[in-house]
Amino acid sequence: MNMLTVVTFAPLLGALIILCLPKEKVKAIQTVAFIFAGISMIASLAMLPGFDRGTPDMQFIERYAWIPSFGVQYFMGVDGLSFPLVLLTTFMCVIGLIASLGIENRVKEYFFWFLVLEVGMIGVFCALDLILFYVFWELTLVPMYFLIGVWGGPRKEFAAIKFFLYTLTGSVFMLLAILALYFAGTAPHTFDMLELAKMTGGWSKNFQILVFLGLYFGMAIKIPAFPFHTWLPLAHVEAPTPISVILAAVLLKMGVYGLLRICLSLTPVGFQWFLPALVVIAVINIVYGALCAMAQTDMKKMVAYSSVNHMGYCLLGIAGMTTAGFTGAVFQMLSHGIITGALFLLVGVIYDRAHTRDISAFGGLAVKLPVFAGLMSLTAFASLGLPGLAGFIGEFLCFLGAFQTWKLAAAISVLGIIATAAFFLRMLQKVFLGKLNEKWADLPDMTTRELVSVVPLAILTVLFGVYPKWPLDLMNKTIEHMLGK
Amino acid sequence: MIEHAYLIPLIPFAASLIMMFGAKEDPHSPVAWIGIGAMTICLGLSVSILAAAAGGQIPLPYEHNWHWFSFAASIGGKSFLYDMPIGVLIDGPAAVLLVVVTLVSLMVQIYSVAYMHEDTRYKRYFAFVSFFTASMLGLVVSSNILVGFMSWELMGLSSYLLIGFWFEKDGPTEAQKKAFMTTKLGDSGLYLALLFIFAKVGSFQITQIHQFINNGYMTGTVATVIAIGILFGAMGKSAQFPLFIWLPDAMEGPTPGSALIHAATMVAAGIFVVARLYFIFLAAPDAMLVAAWIGCITAFMAAAMALVSYDIKRVLAFSTVSQLGFMMCALGVGGYTSGLFHLTTHAFFKALLFLGAGSVIHSVHTNDMRLMGGLSKKMPITFVTMGAAILAIAGIPGTSGYYSKDMILANIYYANQPIFWIMLGTALMTAFYMSRLFILTFWGDDRDHEKHHHAHESPFLITGPLVLLAFLSLVSGYMLNRDDLVYRLLAKPTISAQAPAGHAPVHAEAASADAHAAPALSAAAAEHAEGGAHHEGHLPHWLHLALPFLVLGSIGLAFTLYKGPRYALADGLKSTFAPAFHLLDRRWFLDDAFDLLVVFCDKVAAVAFWIDANVVDRVFVDGWGLLTRVFAEISNLIDALFVDRTVDGFGGLSLDLGVGLRGLVKEGQVQEYLMYVAIAFSLAATLILTR
Amino acid sequence: MTAPLTLSHYMIVAGLLFLIGVFGALTRRNIIGILMSIELMFNAANINLVAFDRFLHPEGVTGQALALFVMTVAAAEIVVGLALLLAIYRGTDTVYAEDFNLLKG
Repeated sequence: MNMLTVVTFAPLLGALIILCLPKEKVKAIQTVAFIFAGISMIASLAMLPGFDRGTPDMQFIERYAWIPSFGVQYFMGVDGLSFPLVLLTTFMCVIGLIASLGIENRVKEYFFWFLVLEVGMIGVFCALDLILFYVFWELTLVPMYFLIGVWGGPRKEFAAIKFFLYTLTGSVFMLLAILALYFAGTAPHTFDMLELAKMTGGWSKNFQILVFLGLYFGMAIKIPAFPFHTWLPLAHVEAPTPISVILAAVLLKMGVYGLLRICLSLTPVGFQWFLPALVVIAVINIVYGALCAMAQTDMKKMVAYSSVNHMGYCLLGIAGMTTAGFTGAVFQMLSHGIITGALFLLVGVIYDRAHTRDISAFGGLAVKLPVFAGLMSLTAFASLGLPGLAGFIGEFLCFLGAFQTWKLAAAISVLGIIATAAFFLRMLQKVFLGKLNEKWADLPDMTTRELVSVVPLAILTVLFGVYPKWPLDLMNKTIEHMLGK
Repeated sequence: MIEHAYLIPLIPFAASLIMMFGAKEDPHSPVAWIGIGAMTICLGLSVSILAAAAGGQIPLPYEHNWHWFSFAASIGGKSFLYDMPIGVLIDGPAAVLLVVVTLVSLMVQIYSVAYMHEDTRYKRYFAFVSFFTASMLGLVVSSNILVGFMSWELMGLSSYLLIGFWFEKDGPTEAQKKAFMTTKLGDSGLYLALLFIFAKVGSFQITQIHQFINNGYMTGTVATVIAIGILFGAMGKSAQFPLFIWLPDAMEGPTPGSALIHAATMVAAGIFVVARLYFIFLAAPDAMLVAAWIGCITAFMAAAMALVSYDIKRVLAFSTVSQLGFMMCALGVGGYTSGLFHLTTHAFFKALLFLGAGSVIHSVHTNDMRLMGGLSKKMPITFVTMGAAILAIAGIPGTSGYYSKDMILANIYYANQPIFWIMLGTALMTAFYMSRLFILTFWGDDRDHEKHHHAHESPFLITGPLVLLAFLSLVSGYMLNRDDLVYRLLAKPTISAQAPAGHAPVHAEAASADAHAAPALSAAAAEHAEGGAHHEGHLPHWLHLALPFLVLGSIGLAFTLYKGPRYALADGLKSTFAPAFHLLDRRWFLDDAFDLLVVFCDKVAAVAFWIDANVVDRVFVDGWGLLTRVFAEISNLIDALFVDRTVDGFGGLSLDLGVGLRGLVKEGQVQEYLMYVAIAFSLAATLILTR
Repeated sequence: MTAPLTLSHYMIVAGLLFLIGVFGALTRRNIIGILMSIELMFNAANINLVAFDRFLHPEGVTGQALALFVMTVAAAEIVVGLALLLAIYRGTDTVYAEDFNLLKG
């Protein structure tokens, strides 16, 4: 049984079926979307027992020739680095679908694109062939463009175009780098990542640096790393809530994943060469992202900038070039996906009711909406790294890894933690505490649908924070061997 | 009993969850008794542990670890899986503190049943208090500094929740934010210290770190940096200069909560952590000196502020800060035992003072001491118990404060004379401002008749804990001091002579093997420490005799200045020394400095965002777009000039032809088109066939 | 008594059928009629195919098979055509070809 194919392409089948359904049958469309995203999630969960935690090697490998004349293969597999992210993706997509039940116009197209997006995202984490990787990578772009551009906010077209063109620019350089790797490999030429990784010894330093920069450019825009991050706040603000969730929870992770999976293994010398710059970028991402978030009055934009800050922790962990840092980066990806996903959902909840996201427009909501206030506080505290919640473990491991190599950079980055605490606390204070703003005196508390989408994330946040063993065990062996080959 | 020590933090944690999620919000629900019951069990466990330890039945330290999670780590280029332990480490100070925390928490919760009985968020209050107690106990028992740090932060969270308990008002919400941010600032130091420790030692386990230092693997510089980081954390949590600004504001919370968190236990956590990792400080004399001076400055500044404040809770808050300064200073000069001793006694009398103040506030509904006065007749039990606490904190011989403060001063005397004289002055100021509080509140005649008229003694649930704490405030010092029990329980840890730093066995397993062989705080080491500490525990004879008289003198001064309803003498002083009073009223302008810092940060944030929107976005997105467009324009030009001309030529030709032909047909008629096709086809066919 | 049927006979019938079709397609106003005429032309072609096959390559069935294909295509074409017609009728309320002048430039 080709489990990875099932996981990856079940949503595609769903998308095709949705295409055949008449657009008036909203219920049927939603059901089909849930069934196929659910199949994908259940299949990925079903892989858990079979996943060998004791080996650093690729598992669940599927390998078929695709375009033999160019050495392109359909080559899928997961290891401790990618498998947690596959689980995150399939899980967050179901959460995103629950949140999507509120979408009312052009339902058919929406769910179609949503499922296509899911295929692309899962595929990126499973693909072990560079061309296959690239195809999946680009496959995420088009649905995202439509999802933002059609179902977004007031400036949706602008945001969609900016997102599309900017990320596409990055991908072009990535494609060039991939082709360079293809021709640099010894004959017979191949796009196989694992094969290419064995040939790195024969490549000159300058070549590796050049290729690394090409790859990095593509990844950095997705991460997003300073100074290529400015598309993110706009895209987040304009995107509909579920798409913001997916964007933050999964799409950003593709960049960091690519950095670890491709840049590190295929251009180790270039990677090493770039480390000092990477750590500076990480520090800027952390401190500067937090400062920008502090200046926001729009809740969604604030959360978006906090993503810049949080992805900076991932970069910092990676820049440390220690296994602890890598562990931290992967864990931070998981926890950020869960926590920021929940934050976006919650911001969506308040926006649906009040039709504003202005922080200072509220006040004293904790009395009227205790459940909402509790969940928002939980996720906000998780996001600012309160121990006992998932954010802390990832953040701490990132710092732990980076500190061994870059003491000063880690010390400066701690300022980012403080700034993060500052803006989240201010948000909590202005929105929930103080005297109740009479304008919102009759806002209803969260509905069941909203609770169903947020509560699982909240539970996972606590679970991962208290007992991080489960996700860590999945990735430990792989990461342990990422440096000491 | 000690093997179940892990239950001590878990029981109140479970209780808080049950209360938070299992109970309905109801001002009269019996939910509070869940927390009280849980705390009683914990108190029983703690007392049995302490009794057994004091009697020598169980050897301390006791350590037991479980596996929590593993992660891949690499130190010195070597990758390994680090197994993070979670467990309990109970040494003397931990055993003592367990009893202190559970006891004070129990008293506070019983007291709160009466104090909070009309509040709409009754169950939440008790859940928060239990949650706080659980995290504090977690810090006390933890064998792993990372777990300790996590509990430490959770304490910060519960402090945040309790300060802002009445969040409808602006005061508490501002105060809770300030408290969280200030302590977070301090925590960043502790955070870095943890990172540094792991980078050097490769372990978070306290005993392994001790072992590492014992082996002389840590250089003085590294130890100093780590110790300063820990100290910074302690400065935030234990409200030391200059981070003490949050504590006076934290009094916005419910008074019993303040008594527990911001007086007796949480603020002592910083001191406790410094004591827990004291071996690092022993390896870093410079950091010790810094700690001593910070403690000294804090004690003095806070005591000075307490001299002029009229808010009863603020005076107590300043007094707490000042006493914490005493403890920090004691630790800084090497007075490990005396610092922790004072921590213990202080917890009792300061909790009592706060609960007493709460009883007063509950009765007269104001914090302003100028509106009180003459309450001794109305509230005799509160009056007597508060009196006991004030005797203790002032250091009247025989009370608990006397023993611990005397020991601290003696330690300082032998270590650092300049600090000693400042601290002696501060001790006298303590006696003065506490007497002032007492006189203004209880003595003489009433100043506000209406408030005085409504005043009444509090119910038994409030006075009961007061009486018990008063008893402890009076005798705990004597009990602990008897037979040198305090020296045995709170024995200073030792580190062996500094060996030159060689190649460290960074691998965690190597260190753990050693740790088994030589328990960190071995009994022998404790014996050794005792000998040294004994001599330092006593002031020179003349000072020892003079001290009580000095204290009595300063109490007498307070009486002279503040007796009577108008205290004209004190007001006269105030106008004479107006600038000094203003400085103290404004709290040394530190709050203003903090506000400036906040404003400054906001400015920086605004600038950063401006840059983001106007520079980074412009350059990297719009700039990129511009570049592309320039390229596009150029290629467009080429296209238009050369390529397109050809296409246009053909296009134009067919267009002209089409326009010419179009005149022939009636537009838009399919059948006509078809006819032309048929005609053309038949013509073509004829031509071909007839050729 | 009767002369055997030759290829020419078939071709004459087919030619006549085709011409009828062309005539119909050019002259009918009703678009359904035009479609029917087009069918006639198809069938003329089919007769030719079958006849050529029978007379020139008697050993194979290629022509017949081809004729079957054409019939299928014709059926499909008429379906599409009728669907289009229906759509146009809904929009314009007429089935007369001269009224369809949307292409008019």
